[in-house]
Amino acid sequence: MTLRMDPEQNEVRALKAVAEWRGQRVLEIGCGDGRLTRRLARLGAEVRAIDTDAELIRTARREFPRRLAARVRFHVGRAGRLEYPKESFDRAVFSWVL
Amino acid sequence: MVHALHEAWRVLKPNGLLIDLRPATVHRRVGILRAGEVQWLGVMRERFDDDRAANRAVAEVVRQGLFKRQGWKHFEFHRTLDSVAEFGAWLDEFRSLGKLPPHDWLLRRLEGALDTQRGRAKILISAPLDLRVLQKRPRL
Repeated sequence: MTLRMDPEQNEVRALKAVAEWRGQRVLEIGCGDGRLTRRLARLGAEVRAIDTDAELIRTARREFPRRLAARVRFHVGRAGRLEYPKESFDRAVFSWVL
Repeated sequence: MVHALHEAWRVLKPNGLLIDLRPATVHRRVGILRAGEVQWLGVMRERFDDDRAANRAVAEVVRQGLFKRQGWKHFEFHRTLDSVAEFGAWLDEFRSLGKLPPHDWLLRRLEGALDTQRGRAKILISAPLDLRVLQKRPRL
């Protein structure tokens, strides 16, 4: 499918306007195929990205740009049971999932 | 949803930010884009029950004193597709979530409009997003 999303880059502009991202530890909940994860990584965030769908996580890992990969880890996980210690992130992003 | 927000509160550092990014509760507009000009052909009729429930969940954790509202942005978000078949597949995916009644009328309008464009046009979906920023507060 030749789906193109947000060609005007309004989403990343809004993210930059509301918070600092460089060097921040970010938990992205509902990462899907990693579309927003790429944008967060490009903004300089260290991202842990989770989704309940294992197939989407495989796609996200496979298609993620190699030059950004060191900043990102993808895991299958649920918003209601986060397997991370308390107070371990600067930002938590609910990505179209609430 | 409230439980997920409680979990986010737990893993956030003191004063950490929760970003809630999702489609705004406005109906998507669909049209065709050609040479920078948009011809709008219809407005979708999505159901917003889930979105309203999410708004209530956010309001609940604010009321509980776990987060305070720090900011909000509303902005335009476009998708483009090359064909009616692709748009139909996108609609099917959307419908599988139970948020959308049949939109055959819109498919027919798009087919009619694209027939006159000889493949040079794209389908444009306009779906504004809301981005809410909440800051973690210490539990009282």
